[in-house]
Amino acid sequence: MSGWVRWTLPPAIVMTIVHPVQAVEYLSIPDAQKLAFPSATQFAEANVVYRPSDIAAIEKLSEQRVRTRGEQVWKAQASGRLLGYFILDYVIGKHEVIDYSVSLEPDGRVRRIDILQYRESYGGEIANRDWLGQFVGKTSRDPPEFEKNIRNISGATLSSRHVTEGIRRVLAIYETCLR
Amino acid sequence: MKPACASIRRARPLLGTFVEIAVTGACRPAMEEAVEAAFGAVAEVHRLMSCQDSNSDVARVNREAPTRALRVHPWTFEVLKAALDLQSRSVGIFDIAVKNPMEPCRSPPFQLRGSLPPPCPRGREGVGAVSGLRSVPEMPGNPSVELLPGRGVRFSGPDITIDLGGIAKGFAVDRAIAVLRDHDVEQALVNAGGDLAAFGPDAAVVSLRDPRDPRRVMGDVEIGGEALASSGRQVDPFRRSETTDTAVIDPRTLRPARAAVGATVRAGQCMIADALTKVVMIVGEAAASVLAEFGASALFVSPGGDLRISGNWQNTVRLAA
Repeated sequence: MSGWVRWTLPPAIVMTIVHPVQAVEYLSIPDAQKLAFPSATQFAEANVVYRPSDIAAIEKLSEQRVRTRGEQVWKAQASGRLLGYFILDYVIGKHEVIDYSVSLEPDGRVRRIDILQYRESYGGEIANRDWLGQFVGKTSRDPPEFEKNIRNISGATLSSRHVTEGIRRVLAIYETCLR
Repeated sequence: MKPACASIRRARPLLGTFVEIAVTGACRPAMEEAVEAAFGAVAEVHRLMSCQDSNSDVARVNREAPTRALRVHPWTFEVLKAALDLQSRSVGIFDIAVKNPMEPCRSPPFQLRGSLPPPCPRGREGVGAVSGLRSVPEMPGNPSVELLPGRGVRFSGPDITIDLGGIAKGFAVDRAIAVLRDHDVEQALVNAGGDLAAFGPDAAVVSLRDPRDPRRVMGDVEIGGEALASSGRQVDPFRRSETTDTAVIDPRTLRPARAAVGATVRAGQCMIADALTKVVMIVGEAAASVLAEFGASALFVSPGGDLRISGNWQNTVRLAA
């Protein structure tokens, strides 16, 4: 039987964090749209701008806070027929931003979810409101300097709970503003 | 290599975490098709084994198996069989049983949290053969999970509930890998929140998060044609950067595992690696014999901050300076 080899790790607290910021782009918006609705011939912008009553309704339905003034929505169409909705959403945490899309059938059932982009940052950019501002209502972004190599990471499991919560909010947006 | 045939990488929220699939070496439509099919397999495992979905096999079994035998999907049966085998070989340290039936599902789904006293008096032969492991004390009369011919499942008593969270994620990775192997891709990697497996000509380099500080990478390991799984304290990047207590419960004490603050296991199958991380978290070095039975290796960080690596693995682990 093989024994164990012992190493002493530098204490985590003393070690300064030098590991570079990680960012992964999985899908562009057009690619995600095509994957979700392969037969669509057109993605018509149908962005939602909330009225104050919408925000209250969405928050009540989803039990999630609404932090934006609207949501980016496209209608997937083929020959004028509605195939479904493609909704771009993001969740922001202390250290992470995740862009993801929720594709809905015309009746509001979830068709698929894709993660478009994952970015982590420990430099405090996310806490900065101006930096936050760049995400509002835009389709293209210039992310800060990220590590070029995409790492595969194993370690304590990252929870996707916030995306799950975000999806609840997106469904409430459908109920309130699109249905 | 032509750009159209380079590689693609996709991610979806499944199994309570982010599942990422990367493939290389086919033309783009073929790769998209392969990835789609692989996500389909993961979603199917999620559907069958999530204890929060009332239509899942696990929820059905928890409702009905105390009173009658019921037939489950071949995949569910396979996981249950492997879980009982792991339970017996680890003398009850790995355990899919939940004690309190009023709390059948421990959120978040797909995480082994409480696992409770040893439901399984049978299949304990060979306890003495596993050296160094203090077994979970026998509790006569405790109900157990019985597997019957024809993919039947029955519980031997009413007070039992199971949770496959400690093994199903690894199984989902194995299923996705099997799908990708059937498609014509050269190289693939499936990563379900840190439980991952890969195949292809080039070894995949995997960074290991420091369980004491998820912002820090502790080192890199190379894997090729095999699987890697990690367990540790929970990281919720949206709430705080610090880790919280581990979700792995020692069935002997019913308290969080204390032998390690984080563990990574390399094995042939991701399902086995996934399950064995819990054993290492609970018993630390004493897991050596169980690891050897499965041809697996491990590394773990002790509460004192030492890293212990299986002797047969140290050459492929590169520690950060």
